[in-house]
Amino acid sequence: MTEVANTDRYASERRIDISSEKDAVLVRRCWQGDSAAMEELILKYQSRIYNVILKICADPDDAAELTQETFVKVIENIDGFEGRSGFYTWMFRIAVNLTLNYCQRNARLRFSSLDASEAKAQYSSQADRVLKEFLSDDSSPDPAVMAQNKELYEIAVESLMKLDDAQRAVVVLRDIEGMNYARIAKVLDIELGTVRSRLSRARSKLRQILEAILQ
Amino acid sequence: MKEIPNMDELLNSFIDGELPARQQTEVQRLVDHEEKIAQRLQQLRKCKMLLSSLPVTEAPPQILENVKASLAGKPLLDESAFRRTERAGTRHLLGRKVFAAAAMLGLVRILTAVVYTIVAPETVTQSRGQKTEDRGQKTDSDFRLLTSDFRLPAAPFSGRLELRTSYLPAVVAFINRAIEDNVPSATKHRGQRTEGRGQKTDSDFRLPTSDFRLICSSESFNLLLAELGNIWDKLDSATLFVDTQVFGQRVVVDAVTAEQISGIVNQDDSKRRMEVAKDFAVLNNIAEHLPGREILTAIDDTTVGLITPPKPVLTWNQKTEKKSPARTKENKNIHLTITVVGGDRPSLN
Repeated sequence: MTEVANTDRYASERRIDISSEKDAVLVRRCWQGDSAAMEELILKYQSRIYNVILKICADPDDAAELTQETFVKVIENIDGFEGRSGFYTWMFRIAVNLTLNYCQRNARLRFSSLDASEAKAQYSSQADRVLKEFLSDDSSPDPAVMAQNKELYEIAVESLMKLDDAQRAVVVLRDIEGMNYARIAKVLDIELGTVRSRLSRARSKLRQILEAILQ
Repeated sequence: MKEIPNMDELLNSFIDGELPARQQTEVQRLVDHEEKIAQRLQQLRKCKMLLSSLPVTEAPPQILENVKASLAGKPLLDESAFRRTERAGTRHLLGRKVFAAAAMLGLVRILTAVVYTIVAPETVTQSRGQKTEDRGQKTDSDFRLLTSDFRLPAAPFSGRLELRTSYLPAVVAFINRAIEDNVPSATKHRGQRTEGRGQKTDSDFRLPTSDFRLICSSESFNLLLAELGNIWDKLDSATLFVDTQVFGQRVVVDAVTAEQISGIVNQDDSKRRMEVAKDFAVLNNIAEHLPGREILTAIDDTTVGLITPPKPVLTWNQKTEKKSPARTKENKNIHLTITVVGGDRPSLN
């Protein structure tokens, strides 16, 4: 179990490191006025940026608009990018900040109720059954199989939306984008300990939400 | 299930592989021995798996085009980047030009200094002289020198005029009034004494004397002199002592006339002034000792003489022109003491 986690972690970070080197080349080309390099950066990251934003804000149209706004800001400010953090980190910081600001402006994304009956009323008996099987299964199911489970997907997304913005951002960056704690701290500009505690509270709350659905 | 906050943080870090190797081992041992902790770990792992299994949603294909469209109205990246590169290039080029210019100036300066030290002094002097003589044209420096020569004020005159008269009170009063009228701004000092002082001869003792010390301009002095010419026939003698540049040496012009005084004083050059004064002294001395003095005087009156200095205009009974403030600022280069030595004679009127 530990080996699997560590392997995932190292693979993810190695991927980012390699990507950072390529990004540095692309950024230098951008500084020299190479618009093709900028297009390459957009095409490379647009889905990842969009996916993170979508998981935080939950609205596809708004996510597309925020993604677009992110890249516009990146291009406008790439002249001032000093390379103290990686381009990847810098770009995600812009994206998450834009998205969190957007969430603060939109009260409709706020879910304050964790009432069990309200939570349960949203899902069908089929969804309950799928979730119960998932949680009771001691084995580690194949993520690809899980991803094709529509009921489980809806429950996961809705549960995620019940977290507050800060917790949701940490969980998304860790469990969906696969960042390590240090990079999350840089993206959100918070302490490493804050990342740790915020992630712990988010997962505990998520667990409570799921248990409430099953009750 | 009761939450164990610290344990949850530890377990989450364990799941995410964020613990150091030693802690990772310890947690693993704890999970192996504690069923509750193992269950909790499983729950947290399920939560992580649930979110991790969420499919990656592809970005809408129009994002790139939209980004380009959004940037269409703004300065493009490549343009700003080119501008930055261009600015940097321009600065670099400008810096190199400035450096080259500074180096060139330094080199020229060094070469100029070397050439000037070795060759230039004679060459420059010769060329300047040739220019002035051959072409009759002046260089700027020459022009400045000539201009300053032309504008040099007349050499200051310093001397004493000794007038002997039998009509002392009248003459003194006349001189005093003439000074008041013509040289109001002049520095003057009048003193009276009954005995001679300083360089007086023995015969001067017991004679009353009046001194007028003037410091005035030559123009004012000419006006005064013209007026004094009207009483010249009331004088027994007139002697002008012209100070020289050598202390204690004087040129003494006996039997000096008002015209001669004007001719001496109005010389701009002190050297020329001395020559004129000596000429008059010799001339007057010869005339004094030659027979037919009256004839010579008559001839002199008709302006037939060897020397014809500018004559002052006599303005008897004419209103004296008042000086403007500007004129009072003229160069006061006449330093003259008029000494009037009298005898016991009736009044002028």
